[in-house]
Amino acid sequence: MADMKTAAYICKGCGIGERVDTAQMAKIATKEGKMHLVREHDFLCSAAGVQLIRDDIDKEGVTHAVIAACSRRAKTEAFYFPSAAVARANIREGVIWARPDTAEARETTQEMADDYLRMGCGELKKMKLPGGNPDTGHAKRLLVVGGGVSGLTAALEASKTGYQVVLVEKSGSLGGWAATLHKRMPVREPYADPQDSGMNELIAAVKGDRNIKVHTNAVIAKTDGAPGRFKVDISVESGSSVTEEVGAIVQATGFTTYDIAKLPELGGGKSANVIDQATLERLAADGAAKGQPIRRPGDGGEVNTVVFVQCAGQRDESGKHLAYCSGFCCGASVKQAMYFKDANPAINTVVIYDDLRMPGNGEDFYRSAQRKGVIFTKGKVTSVEAQGQGCEVKFRDLILDEDATIAGADLVVLATGQVPNSGVNIDIPEEEVAKMEVKPVSILNLTYRQGKDLPQLTQGFTDSHFICFPYETRRTGIYSAGPVRRPMDVAQATEDAAGATLKAIQAMENAGLGRAAHPRSGDLSYPIVQLDGCTQCKRCTVECPFGAIDEDEKRYPVFNESRCRRCGTCMGACPVRVISFENYSCDTVGAQIKAVDVPDEFSEKPRILVLACENDAYPAIDMAGMQKNCYSAFVRVIPVRCLGSVNTIWITDALNAGYDGIMMLGCKHGDDYQCHFVKGSELASVRMSKVDDTLKQLSLEAERVISHEVAITDIARVPQLINDYAAKINEIGMSPLKGFA
Amino acid sequence: MGDLNTQMLDKYRNNFLREVEEKVDDGDWVKMCMQCGVCAGSCTFGPDWEHTPQKIFMMIRAGKREEVLTSHSMWLCTSCYNCMVRCPRKLPITHIMHGLASYAHRLGLAPKNQPTRDFSMIFWENCTKTGRVNELKMTISVYFREGFVSGIKKMWTLRNIGRGLFFAKRLNPLELFVSHGCKDKDGLRRALKKADEIEARRRGYAVQPRGYSS
Amino acid sequence: MTEVVATNQTILVVGGGISGMTAALEAAECGKQVVLVEKSPTLGGRTALLYRYFPKLCHPICGLEINLRRIKANRNIRVLTLAEVSAISGKRGDYSATVKIAPRYVNENCTACGDCAGAVAAEVPNPYNYGLDKMKAAYLPHAMAYPQRYVLDASVIGTADADKAKAACKYGAIDLEMREETITIKAGAVIWATGWQPYDAAKIQPYGYDRFANVITSLEFERLADPHGPTGGKILRPSDGKEAKNIAFIQCAGSRDENHLRHCSRICCMASLKQTQYVKEAWGEAAKSTVYYIDIRAIDRFEDFYQKVQRDPSVSFLKSKVAKVTQDKSGDVILHGVDTEGYHRYANAHDMAVLAIGMQPSVAGVDIPAEIVADSSGFIESSAAESGFFGAGCATNALDVNRAVQSSTAAALRAIQVINKVARAEA
Repeated sequence: MADMKTAAYICKGCGIGERVDTAQMAKIATKEGKMHLVREHDFLCSAAGVQLIRDDIDKEGVTHAVIAACSRRAKTEAFYFPSAAVARANIREGVIWARPDTAEARETTQEMADDYLRMGCGELKKMKLPGGNPDTGHAKRLLVVGGGVSGLTAALEASKTGYQVVLVEKSGSLGGWAATLHKRMPVREPYADPQDSGMNELIAAVKGDRNIKVHTNAVIAKTDGAPGRFKVDISVESGSSVTEEVGAIVQATGFTTYDIAKLPELGGGKSANVIDQATLERLAADGAAKGQPIRRPGDGGEVNTVVFVQCAGQRDESGKHLAYCSGFCCGASVKQAMYFKDANPAINTVVIYDDLRMPGNGEDFYRSAQRKGVIFTKGKVTSVEAQGQGCEVKFRDLILDEDATIAGADLVVLATGQVPNSGVNIDIPEEEVAKMEVKPVSILNLTYRQGKDLPQLTQGFTDSHFICFPYETRRTGIYSAGPVRRPMDVAQATEDAAGATLKAIQAMENAGLGRAAHPRSGDLSYPIVQLDGCTQCKRCTVECPFGAIDEDEKRYPVFNESRCRRCGTCMGACPVRVISFENYSCDTVGAQIKAVDVPDEFSEKPRILVLACENDAYPAIDMAGMQKNCYSAFVRVIPVRCLGSVNTIWITDALNAGYDGIMMLGCKHGDDYQCHFVKGSELASVRMSKVDDTLKQLSLEAERVISHEVAITDIARVPQLINDYAAKINEIGMSPLKGFA
Repeated sequence: MGDLNTQMLDKYRNNFLREVEEKVDDGDWVKMCMQCGVCAGSCTFGPDWEHTPQKIFMMIRAGKREEVLTSHSMWLCTSCYNCMVRCPRKLPITHIMHGLASYAHRLGLAPKNQPTRDFSMIFWENCTKTGRVNELKMTISVYFREGFVSGIKKMWTLRNIGRGLFFAKRLNPLELFVSHGCKDKDGLRRALKKADEIEARRRGYAVQPRGYSS
Repeated sequence: MTEVVATNQTILVVGGGISGMTAALEAAECGKQVVLVEKSPTLGGRTALLYRYFPKLCHPICGLEINLRRIKANRNIRVLTLAEVSAISGKRGDYSATVKIAPRYVNENCTACGDCAGAVAAEVPNPYNYGLDKMKAAYLPHAMAYPQRYVLDASVIGTADADKAKAACKYGAIDLEMREETITIKAGAVIWATGWQPYDAAKIQPYGYDRFANVITSLEFERLADPHGPTGGKILRPSDGKEAKNIAFIQCAGSRDENHLRHCSRICCMASLKQTQYVKEAWGEAAKSTVYYIDIRAIDRFEDFYQKVQRDPSVSFLKSKVAKVTQDKSGDVILHGVDTEGYHRYANAHDMAVLAIGMQPSVAGVDIPAEIVADSSGFIESSAAESGFFGAGCATNALDVNRAVQSSTAAALRAIQVINKVARAEA
């Protein structure tokens, strides 16, 4: 940038002026930092201070500003200058609050402050103001896959919001499972009786909506592109194919019931009178249509006793059946028992359950069933056998603590649960897929390098891993909704569909503006690759947590910026450093590392580089400062977008520059990982395990580079880790590489 | 009253819950129990129960007619109402316990020599005779319930209290010979008879005076 | 004077907990203008006061950090704290809300340097630790507080402490003349994310919350386990500071109970399962947790977590609604009841008992606009078809965080539908 004009602003407020020599810092900014303009201020975040900076930007043409004051997490409203590149040097939380106010600490505290300013100046000069991803698509239609209650709701909600919708349904009709229900659970007070499913109205509304284009008997042959510019090939019944351009996708492909035939011990597949909940819905609907009571499927006989067996093939710890609870089945059995009781109170209905799971106002529905005379027995069913025209149910009564039998059950209903229709599990290697008897069929047929369907979280569900962010998706612009995401009932699926629709709309709107999606929402920076240096190693395409990078025929990476979430994992992966962001790159961090003044090996002042995840480790260090939990003055902390974005060049640079130790502080990994970019911290630890070789080559001890999993609450632990490590470095001695840089 | 028992067995066959709902005071609440067990833990006589209220409700649902109606448990209830105020489903547990006891008694299934039951019968007989409780007679009936020797023993144990009561003019030996009653004894009997009729009609029994053991 | 530019294309979000923040952010990130009104001095709500989330055992403030960063980065959201909606008029697409803003006595000059807290002597009970400790009357609510600005407690106004605070502030941030102000905000749609409050534990008399120091609520237990909490994350019982290693968890404390809350509060089973792991984390082999329950409602995928906890030898389960709690001279609490599986009477001593306290809507007993349809427990059921009011999160039902966020995202969409209609009509 030819006309870069840099400025440094040094705040003296909050005790900075008393604790460190800001005049010296100003000198450093001018001489070493080569800032064009350097100003000190008593109270920089005040209206006057902010105006000063604003005037410099407007009148003096300042394009780049480093603010040496408080943490980047503080005073964000004041220090908001959208037209300039801004770096923050953390002198308050990161220096004076993290150091004791003593005479002997004064020198090292000053060195810390000086270094952070040097680092800020270094970073600033490598930064550009992000301009936004230019490769945007402007398609504003929504593709909804699946025509059940979730899909229909999503389509209708999108239409109501003013968006056009393409809806693809595999079967010949709309409505899915919900349309086969005789009735649904109540959603309003008094929560006493089953209510009409409302599906006919919903289907009619979708069919009558001019914004919604419906393809039935249709599947998706190919999905190509990115948010804002998906091209979707839809195979329709006639065998022909239609291509639709859409901006985002809601996948509402629902579930299949768990196969009752897998439960022979409960009579599944062995007796016609042992049925699943879905079958009972059909019997009830058929009966109602004919104005007749529900009859025994085996021989059409009268039903006098019905037994509902909860958790059939669910909550199974043996690994044979479903390990999870489907959540809706207790309520569904209660509702179905009411079908009988409401028609004829003399019919004996027994629900055998282990834990009755009817949260919220479900308790009222449970009470209503009891009032109607449904019997609830806490027990575990051991067998269901055909007996005469009916069945014999054997179970352990857990309250009376004895084995019990219900003889002559005319109908036994097994609550078998939901199995998600999530397509291909992209994490299963192809060799293993080849061995499978039934080959999984893809739903989206994504052309993504990383696989055809949404990644599955667990048990086939395409849920988000994040508790705070249920619509966090690993395929930007594609959101799953309904029972494919997690087991759920109709009411929840309806709400879920609305939520997913919002996220899809948001994704296409932001993709059109060149902005990132969650969690770096609105970020205008995007990965820029210099292909001429690329060695086609494929690390970026393999490691991208969001499947954003494809490969062309020559195996060069093809970046789909609208799919990108700006974590920088690709940048960390790249061995030749050709991937960067305008305001975050190998250079912006490298410049900070190099800017630190590393004292010689006789100084007894080691330097420790801390690379800290900006979402958890860095706030933990920040809050440690806020609580005045002091730590070693020898650390220099650099926040990184994710530990996954740490490029090994930074490690090499730091070691070569004479740093004595490097700490990498990232989020927990493993099954309950807490990394916001899925596996950044895990990747970093894998990469760092390879750093050992580098250390050996340099004849350095393995302890020179360490990593820790750190949580945002570790406000006491992080200072301890830092101090322990400083002691460790003291023990192994100063780096022999000082002075060679 | 084996008759009534057979009638009821016949009428309800396997459906003891329905029998309880229709025949027992507040029996229609039994189905509302959710087996939390707070009643069982709240009972001041807790450790002495063979079957806790919550368990009795489960036994009723499981059709354990004989076991429930011959149980000692519901006779232990002292009407402290702890269970009732704590029951999250607001079941009138105290009332159900008394209802079950009364029903078991009526069917002749209540355990023999059950002290609470014996006491109740003595009390009822005593007080309905004249409209007032004759304490002396009642005490003697209760003491001698299990025979002459045990009666003498009990009286001997409590002799000091008896003496105290006598000197405090709270116990009049003449009462043994002349019971003084209420004003309109016939009226009382008519009222009781009417009450019996009403209850019998409500529950579908043949009218029979209660309070006399079979 | 607080100036808020709002039009009938603005979405007003009431409540700055995770649901309100989510609703506000999701709408703002769709490009809509949002005013977020929170009655306490900070955003974050109740989840900011939780130590970990189930089932991942991750930290709520990690998500809060992301949400705060989103808010800081988004110019479409205007945040008002210490602000409450006192009246609202108009109709769908055209509302006018009267918002009362209580004085903070600290203006935007505040740098959160903390000098005022150093100068003030008075202490007040710390609501962010549920009153388990005290804080200075000039305070930053907690380390994650946003806005990151101190508050001067109203109790010191007019005392020498207030003057000391004012004198200590170098930045002229203490403004003792601040008064309550009332502003009017226009909005096309209103999202009610007013959240929940714990049921009053003292009302469950047999458990003795009001009599026994070592009977605490599940929310208080969160603070005891949290490194930001009053004990620095050590699980110490309130009566004598003894290390509490043997802990009883009493489920359905208030919930599923017609004497208290009729509904099931959904989260408490999972919360207690999670908290058994705090005990384990703190004391390892010496940890002992007992969960007294009616039904364990580890719904859907959470079953995994239940199975994991069941395998943990430090945790045992007893199917029983506890009848009564007493506390002995040593401070131990004794739980009385009957194990209903089979029939086993118990009188178990524990170091401390944690009541898995039920959830009730925050607006229970508070005046809410007639246009909102609430059920008999006070949860917002729905709004009439012609309404521009939408419930979100725990204001609508007893929900866990994940479902509350889901609900808030859906509410944001419905609000946007109103706004878009207004925009189309005005275009």
